[in-house]
Amino acid sequence: MLEYILAKYNYWIYVVLMMIGLYAMMGKRNLVKKLIGMNIFQTSIILFFVSMGVKKGGATVPILMGDSHGHGEQLIQVADYLNPLPHVLMLTAIVVSIATTGVALATLILIYKRYHTLEEDEILAIRKEASAYKTLGT
Amino acid sequence: MKNWFKWISLIAVIMTGALLIYGTHDMPAWGDPNSPANSHVSPRYILEATKLTATPNIVSAVLADYRSYDTLGESAVIFTASISCLFLLRRIRKEKTSEDK
Amino acid sequence: MIRQLDLILLIFIVICAIAAINIKDLMSAVIILGAYGFFMCLLWTEMGAVDVAFTEASVGAGIGTVLFIAAINKTSRRSKD
Repeated sequence: MLEYILAKYNYWIYVVLMMIGLYAMMGKRNLVKKLIGMNIFQTSIILFFVSMGVKKGGATVPILMGDSHGHGEQLIQVADYLNPLPHVLMLTAIVVSIATTGVALATLILIYKRYHTLEEDEILAIRKEASAYKTLGT
Repeated sequence: MKNWFKWISLIAVIMTGALLIYGTHDMPAWGDPNSPANSHVSPRYILEATKLTATPNIVSAVLADYRSYDTLGESAVIFTASISCLFLLRRIRKEKTSEDK
Repeated sequence: MIRQLDLILLIFIVICAIAAINIKDLMSAVIILGAYGFFMCLLWTEMGAVDVAFTEASVGAGIGTVLFIAAINKTSRRSKD
């Protein structure tokens, strides 16, 4: 049982982080809070993927030592180096996540210019009032 | 009205988390060197990347050489994001100057 | 891979995440989000993902925090929840 917990507790903590981000996206009303929750969500998924490339038992960073032209005679063992593939994919994902955050913040500034608030329920109330006024006017 | 929405979202989040924790039962143990993710594609990169690309850093060899079309797509995404930011924020400035005049 | 360091960093990360979504002042929440990013970068360095770690430290924690602070300066700092 203890062995099972030691083998799996990392995944459980990643799930807890994902739950925190998802709750902030669903339950909070402030739009900046929703964005912070989206960042936490993305980072937890990236953390999960990076942790898939971990090898126990003396594996090091995937940078080869010695002759950089590859003509060296040293023998490369696969178990000596970490898995480089998740690192590459998550490098792309981090940059894409910051681009998403930038576009979302620009949209947020536009929303504030138009409604003068960032709370979701106040924005919905203003929109409802405006649409009722429009139907009354016509 | 405000509180029941928070409770419903909390229940939904806890159910999602319970489902995911149930799913970790089938995952390989954390840090297992023989897990499927560590034993299919990446041994080829580790063994041959330095020989084929003359780069000691395997991550940058894979990023800029094996999967360079992926990096090209990523830069297209950043370009789109920066252009859309530019257009979104440019509209504000025009409105403000027209209000000033 | 040091298991104790791993566990301590994960607990700090969870505490930072809970604090970032519970603080009412948005500027403090964003600064705590930056601290969360740096703890995440430490954790990745400890896992051996060096390239991902310094990309996160420069892009995720640096530029992300700067963008959030600029947006909060243009909008309001208060939050109801």
